[in-house]
Amino acid sequence: MPTYIYAITAADHPLRLDGLSGVGEPASDLRTVKTGALGAVVSDTPAELRAKRRDLVAHQSVLERLMADGAALPMRFGLVGPDDEQVRAALEQGKDAYTARLSELDGRLEYNLKVSREEQSLLREILAESQEARRLSEYTRENPGAQDQMMALGELVSREIQGRQEAAGKEVAASLADAAERISEGEPTKTHFLNVSYLVRRDQASAFAQAVHEEAERRGDDYTFALNGPLPPYSFV
Amino acid sequence: MSLVQQSNASNSGGGSGNLYDVLELILDRGLVIDAFVRVSLVGIEILKIDVRVVVASVDTYLRFAEACNRLDLESGRKAPAQLTDIVGDTMESGAKGKSKGALTGAVEAFTDSLQGGRDDSDDKEKEKRPARKTSASSSSRRTSQRGEE
Repeated sequence: MPTYIYAITAADHPLRLDGLSGVGEPASDLRTVKTGALGAVVSDTPAELRAKRRDLVAHQSVLERLMADGAALPMRFGLVGPDDEQVRAALEQGKDAYTARLSELDGRLEYNLKVSREEQSLLREILAESQEARRLSEYTRENPGAQDQMMALGELVSREIQGRQEAAGKEVAASLADAAERISEGEPTKTHFLNVSYLVRRDQASAFAQAVHEEAERRGDDYTFALNGPLPPYSFV
Repeated sequence: MSLVQQSNASNSGGGSGNLYDVLELILDRGLVIDAFVRVSLVGIEILKIDVRVVVASVDTYLRFAEACNRLDLESGRKAPAQLTDIVGDTMESGAKGKSKGALTGAVEAFTDSLQGGRDDSDDKEKEKRPARKTSASSSSRRTSQRGEE
């Protein structure tokens, strides 16, 4: 039966898995695969695995438990090896790389920050600062049938939004860089112009949260900061 | 300011409370082993497309143009200092509704992709959690955070 893999740890990680269960319905039983230097938390792979809520929660819960007790390399959801023996072989084969990454990540956590800005405040800012946007807006309000001008306005505003959000995103990301060890930029979403993960030392976590707090305060009410963490270091493996 | 901080480790549910916010990390990041495969995950591709930002399209241009023309132009002409005040006062209802709408759309796609073949015991929790929880957090985000500040 194929083996679903949750994480790779050092051999001396306690791998405390009591009370947890794996992906699938009914939930699969967790077990470990060990080599001399490394360990992996695995389970059987359910016949038809989909990314259902309970499966994502199971995966995430295993990683959070491991994270609490030491360094662990989180696997991407849905990674499956042919069987336990081949997982063991992969651990042996990748031993040096995995060991190095585990020591790099030891005592470190991921924090994901998503920042959005309310659209109306951004549109007001653009209208206030761009004479051309104002002109086109006035013109199209007086001439509702002026499709070309509507398109021109929309294109101009769209370009301005992108430029301003990219600039703001860079500023926010940079303002927090000093409080973190590493940065991993994610793709913006429909609502968030900034989506970035930081790798933070456990003993600097409160200083990092404070830096985010201060940046949010500087940005003011038009911005919403959503900080998620501590998380398994998904973005840094 | 608005800051929502969610701490997984202290949650009893083990990260289930803010799953949507970290979904792309669980699905797209994390370590892979080259020789191994990733099981095919139905629904996830659709979800990713839905969440991705769409900028350059006729529909987007029209939407932005119309949104601009709906704004009160007078306030747009005023000095930046005054502008901030006006924005702060008038934003509350309008923009909140808008961002909530966008977020809810994404959440619905997420919910759909997660809904297939669930059993009765999970129904109650699932019905409430993905749909309501996330949209509620988007609309209460500003106010609840202000309370904490």
